[in-house]
Amino acid sequence: MAALLGAQIARAGPMEVISPQADAVSITIYRDLFALITETRTVDLPEGPVTLSFDGVVETLLPASAVVTDLGRTPEERNFDHDVLSPNNLLTKSIGKSVTITRTLPGSGRVVQTRAVILAANDQGITLRTETGNEALHCSGIPERLMFDDIPHDLRATPRLSIHLPAGKAGKRTVRLSYLAHGFAWKSDYVARLAPAGNRMDLTGWITLHNYTQAGFRGAQVQVVAGKLHLVSTEQGGSSLLGDSDDLSDWNLNETREAALEDLRQKLEPEDPGLQLFSGCHAVPVPATLEGRPLDGAESLEEVIVTGFRGSLRASLQMKRDAMMAAREELGDYQLYRLPVATDLHARQTKQAVFLAKQRVKVDHYYSFAFDGRGSEDLESLTPESTIAFENQKSSGLGEPLPEGMMRVFESTGTGDLFMGEARMEDQPVNLPVELSVAMALGLGLEIDASEATRDELRNTGLDERTDIELRAFNAKSVPVTLEVLQYGGYRPNARISKSSQRVRRKYGDFVWRLRVPANGSKTLIYRFERPKDADSEPAK
Amino acid sequence: MRTICWTVLISAGVAVGSATALAAGSETDREISLTIYNKNIALIEHVRPISAPAGRQRIEFAGVSAQIVPETVSFIAPNMTLIEQNFDYDLLTPAKLMEKAVGSSVQLVRVNPATGAETTEKAEVLSTVGGTVLRIGPRIEVLREDSLPTRVIFDKVPENLRAQPTLSVLVNAAKPVNEVARLTYLSRGFTWAADYVAVFDEPHGITSVQGWITLRNTSGTSFVNARTQLVAGDVNLVDSEEQWWTRWQQSRNTNQRSIGTENTGRPQLGDYYVYPIRELTTVANNQTKQVSFLDAGSVKASKGYELRFYGFQSYSDPQSAEVRMRFSNSKSGGMGEQLPSGVVRIYMRDAHGQPQFVGEDHIGHTSAGSELALKIGDAFDVTVQPTLTQTRSISKRKSEYDMSYLVRNARATPVVVTLRQDGLWRENSVLKESIAGRRTDFNSFAWDVPVPANGESTLTFTLATSW
Repeated sequence: MAALLGAQIARAGPMEVISPQADAVSITIYRDLFALITETRTVDLPEGPVTLSFDGVVETLLPASAVVTDLGRTPEERNFDHDVLSPNNLLTKSIGKSVTITRTLPGSGRVVQTRAVILAANDQGITLRTETGNEALHCSGIPERLMFDDIPHDLRATPRLSIHLPAGKAGKRTVRLSYLAHGFAWKSDYVARLAPAGNRMDLTGWITLHNYTQAGFRGAQVQVVAGKLHLVSTEQGGSSLLGDSDDLSDWNLNETREAALEDLRQKLEPEDPGLQLFSGCHAVPVPATLEGRPLDGAESLEEVIVTGFRGSLRASLQMKRDAMMAAREELGDYQLYRLPVATDLHARQTKQAVFLAKQRVKVDHYYSFAFDGRGSEDLESLTPESTIAFENQKSSGLGEPLPEGMMRVFESTGTGDLFMGEARMEDQPVNLPVELSVAMALGLGLEIDASEATRDELRNTGLDERTDIELRAFNAKSVPVTLEVLQYGGYRPNARISKSSQRVRRKYGDFVWRLRVPANGSKTLIYRFERPKDADSEPAK
Repeated sequence: MRTICWTVLISAGVAVGSATALAAGSETDREISLTIYNKNIALIEHVRPISAPAGRQRIEFAGVSAQIVPETVSFIAPNMTLIEQNFDYDLLTPAKLMEKAVGSSVQLVRVNPATGAETTEKAEVLSTVGGTVLRIGPRIEVLREDSLPTRVIFDKVPENLRAQPTLSVLVNAAKPVNEVARLTYLSRGFTWAADYVAVFDEPHGITSVQGWITLRNTSGTSFVNARTQLVAGDVNLVDSEEQWWTRWQQSRNTNQRSIGTENTGRPQLGDYYVYPIRELTTVANNQTKQVSFLDAGSVKASKGYELRFYGFQSYSDPQSAEVRMRFSNSKSGGMGEQLPSGVVRIYMRDAHGQPQFVGEDHIGHTSAGSELALKIGDAFDVTVQPTLTQTRSISKRKSEYDMSYLVRNARATPVVVTLRQDGLWRENSVLKESIAGRRTDFNSFAWDVPVPANGESTLTFTLATSW
């Protein structure tokens, strides 16, 4: 049995088969800083028990997530060794072994070689035993270097995944190795261009994906998954660097993602080649720090996106030409977008693709204002929000799932495009209305008079609360606008509008009015909000 | 006093201080066994041949875990009594070597920078505070003040300076000993967890479940050809910091829907299940080792949508329904195995037939025959939008709520969404409902809402609750 013989023998013998690299790779990137890597590899298995080793796996591999299929045998055991061949590991693994120490004597330049046993090697220096006695390395001021007889067998340049297989049929097989690896992410961004009339928009959706790892992929099939996966934190044995998804909510998700990404990027930063153990004594000059290429920071990512926008202004034309559009399919209860052609994904690369391009989508542009209706607001300067709303359905020219992301809205004018504003959009399934406040209104102001009835005034009315509201909207624009006024109230027991100058609707339990405010004009809304008393506090009838 | 040195992995050179007193005896364990608990603790037993003369002597154990918990060590050897036990952390470093040489003599080898000629002198180390002060013959000098190359050679390495933390015991042997000794202790730096891979075939209503035990050794020491067994169960560790929190989380366990009572024939050890690894195995330091313990090809499984609301509230944003995979680890369900605590990773096949990761959930120790409903994620296309349409105060302590739940399904297949109204007050009753629901416990009700493909359904009900 391979396990019985020990790794060294298994390595020397014919029973280890090493697969140096993958024939083909598929990468599925998720939002939460990991990807599923699926590799196809061809291996030639002998009949007897064998240790099959996969080299060249991504260094951030999560060992527990690995799955190997199409082996024709059931694996009994597998090992993931992450002792990499670094100067430090070379030293610590050589404690107790004999090495050759080479000294170049100053002046004569004479080279003297002696054998030595490494007694200890730690972050405070290296101690050796030579023929003459015991001494410390790199303390004398004489140029000294160590020469090792061989590499400890378990040290390797890249991590290795090996599996022990029982005996089975010999021959060539194509096996599939899949595993989750940290250091990948993607997001979606939208560009909406409103037509001058404000009732149609062109909507383009971009996928921006990142490989933060050192691993590069040639001719990889790349896809991304949209949707919220339930994940368990890595501390609890799961895959998530963001913590348990049960502890995350929409409002802290993006923050948490960014913090986790920052941590991860620091971890993936190439290590300072300071050869820590080798510089334990003072005499060794610390090698100059490599001037590493700065990582794609958040700032430079923004630039990438901005570039994307510029492209998008001519996007429709371009896309027809190169058809580089990601295709959507359903994966369980999520959406999966597949890049149409195999692509190279290099280490630390950012890539973009279009996944959505819809022209002339019906859109409603209006202004909205929501308030509590209690006269408790600062009623001095009330500014509505500029809002776009659309029905995500075929009849409106859309009807596509919209993964969460930032929506940036541009207004077409005679002279060019103007940036109107932006809003974060949650995942949007089809057939649902979407409403996004993208900016504060300009040239549209409100005045509100709210007079709340006093306790005396309410006596004998059977009411707990009564407020008369007069809302005046002023439009300084040269076009008429629509204003949606919303008063919260659904959560307050027995709430009702008893009279109103305009028709009132209920929207998700709240009270809503729609006003048309004429160009360079004003409009007034008057209504009364009241709440009858609780049944048992009312005098018996 | 003499010292016997046992070494396992590394040759005698490592046991720095004791080379002179190296006694005859086996250099390796005759047997080594690891019992690993999933709470960062392992019980390690070394069985080693020992041969020693009669009398008082020190025995060193190289190759023990670097994260040994010294107070748990027990040493049993026939005809030997334990006098004292030490665990030395004093690492051998160049600076320590010099410090410990104070008062003794060393050799200085100086190299002439012009000619390369070497001259050797004897020196006495006087002090190492802020630099090394030496007496060379009648002269007092500071080491390397002239920055000229100077090697310092020490005759010996102090006994208690070591390449790695080392355990030693002082024993008294009644007579010469040539037997087998047992050394057992607890060590930190070991963890294991179960990891499961489920490839869920939704159309056929089955899932495969593979179980791996994932073992991590970060103890700093490798164990060669060890008899290894893994113990599932919650060992009560008094010093564990987050004990309360962990226990609470375990008791919370909302994805287990019923507790099974089936017997699986797995070896049991008190309240624990034991998973022995069949063959001797090498547990290398810094290695993640996985051993297969479960391979169920087709377990009956189904998908369900659920959403639970506490309190009565309107939401302007639709809430995504939770997607859960339901299965049983019973014999009749196709498995018949208890499942030690761990993470289940769920895969589904994409349009090309390639398995894609769709989510994961944590399970507690689950006895066979239990019902599980693992959370996969949030449904992109199945949403629920609650609206509190009216509330009425019936009395000071009693209110009525009119709720309306709009359930939308943008999928091409019909779905059933289980909605639960939870966290009600003590007295509660449903006065009106558009779909027949059921009471799920003293303070919650549930409704199964069928929703057509690419369509929507509305559940409305009036609920009275009081305290």
